[in-house]
Amino acid sequence: MNANETPAVEISERSFYDRYESLILGTTFIVLVLVIWQLVPSVFTLSKGMKLFFATPTMVVGALGDLIESGKIWPAVQFSATAFGVGLGLSIIVALPAGVILGRSQLINDMVDPFITSINATPRLVFLPLILIWFGIGMWSVIVVVFIGAVFPLLINTYEGVKNADKLLINVVKSYGATEWEINKLVVLPNSMPFIIAGLRLAIGRAVLGVVVAEFFGGSSKGIGVIMVRASGTFQVDVVFAGLIMFMAISLVLTGIVRAIEARFSRWRPQETKNY
Amino acid sequence: MAVQYIEAKNVNLTFTPPNRMPVTALQGFDVAVGEGEFVSIVGPSGCGKSTFLNVLLGLIKPNSGEMAINGNPVSGPGRDRAMVFQEFGLLPWRTVLDNIGLAPELRGVGKRQRRALCQSFIDMVGLSGFEAHYPHELSGGMKQRVGIARALVSDPDVLLMDEPFAALDAQTRDIMQAELLRIWQEAKKTVLFVTHQIEEAVYLSDRVIVMTKRPGRTKTIIDIPLKRPRDYEMRVTPEFNELKLRIWNELKDEIDTQGGPQL
Ligand SMILES: Nc1ncnc2c1ncn2[C@@H]1O[C@H](COP(=O)(O)OP(=O)(O)O)[C@@H](O)[C@H]1O
Ligand SMILES: [Mg+2]
Repeated sequence: MNANETPAVEISERSFYDRYESLILGTTFIVLVLVIWQLVPSVFTLSKGMKLFFATPTMVVGALGDLIESGKIWPAVQFSATAFGVGLGLSIIVALPAGVILGRSQLINDMVDPFITSINATPRLVFLPLILIWFGIGMWSVIVVVFIGAVFPLLINTYEGVKNADKLLINVVKSYGATEWEINKLVVLPNSMPFIIAGLRLAIGRAVLGVVVAEFFGGSSKGIGVIMVRASGTFQVDVVFAGLIMFMAISLVLTGIVRAIEARFSRWRPQETKNY
Repeated sequence: MAVQYIEAKNVNLTFTPPNRMPVTALQGFDVAVGEGEFVSIVGPSGCGKSTFLNVLLGLIKPNSGEMAINGNPVSGPGRDRAMVFQEFGLLPWRTVLDNIGLAPELRGVGKRQRRALCQSFIDMVGLSGFEAHYPHELSGGMKQRVGIARALVSDPDVLLMDEPFAALDAQTRDIMQAELLRIWQEAKKTVLFVTHQIEEAVYLSDRVIVMTKRPGRTKTIIDIPLKRPRDYEMRVTPEFNELKLRIWNELKDEIDTQGGPQL
């Protein structure tokens, strides 16, 4: 008997539409929005002032094309992406082990819980002036803002997952002589994976937000956010939109990456089937 | 009395959960099991049976008492013991093979050797062909076969079983009981088996320990002189039923019937 036999048959029986339903619906909706948006100026007569602040999708694509062709965008993309990547990477390096330790040790948890809760409840923007003083205007300030934004959701989710790890399974591996490290590797981390992935999702959102906020509010003189702020100062609405689209595209790609990670870690799960 | 293979003397254990009343689960509990013997513990729900097995497994430290396996004092988990759990305790993200190979993996045995080591036990419990399956793809009976194989692979001297068939339906349970007897005879282990089903205890055991209600102590020990190998027909003999009745008579005073019958 082969484990893969049954699902393989099921998949081939599903129609093209069934398989790509969400993709087709999603794309249709976006196309619809874009078309309506494009038609706004030809349907309504916009006043002179309004015209200045309005950009159609084709204008936005044009601005994006210009930015890419002139090469102006690449240093900005590189700057923002580096700040994002380093900040998020650091937050993962810190949050995962810290979350595991907090979840496994009641003592340490009691000690630092009030601290974490209060910082997490504070809007991260209030730290910006302090960060600017300590790290100066530039890459490190943006990285720190990204880090502070991303580290808490990941930490708190990891902690929740670890705390709720299956006691029976922990006992099982313990009974075979597992060390604390092995308990975490064999049971606690795989068991908390759904929590950690959810945390990663939040963290990525916060990290993108961190880049935007830091670049908008004077944390650096480079980056996509800076290009947007400058364009908005000179009413280049199409360029502002172009920047926005870049951020959206980045977020989309990252969401895809998280999905892939999630799929990698949930291969063992029962296949979800639509029951309607 | 000769030194026994499993020997627990005067084990006391009180749980002190934070913000709740302390619960004395075991008070002066004694157990003695000979090498290769199959001994069952029956007792009312909540009398401390699981607690005792966990103490013997080395997962819970008792407040006092002496425990030894083959003369070696129990002070933590050890290779001489393995437990089969009521709720199976399989790692859902691991295949059958990787679940069964857990103990050798923790001992640092390499992948290929592990596979070879596991195979004979996979065959023994009748799971050949299911090595690559995940637990959610198995029936309850098959899951517990994995649980038994996993315990046997670690090559323990003592097999502790905590109501291993309680989560199974009646037919599967009958089959698993017969399978367990076959495996026990093949693997030659000392078994300490917890159940709250009297018939199961009589069918499987050399001796049955009846526990009092909480705090759990030994009430009586009943010998089961039925010849082996045992088969299903034996369960309808007068001898068998007489043994069941004797255990029931010991047990019924311990059962709190206020919350409805618990057996
Ligand atoms: N970790 C624990 N903390 C507090 N009380 C516990 C704990 N484990 C078991 N108990 C209590 O100890 C008693 C014995 O439990 P247990 O050994 O599981 O009984 P059973 O004989 O049904 O297996 C029960 O009253 C139970 O509520
Ligand atoms: Mg129990």
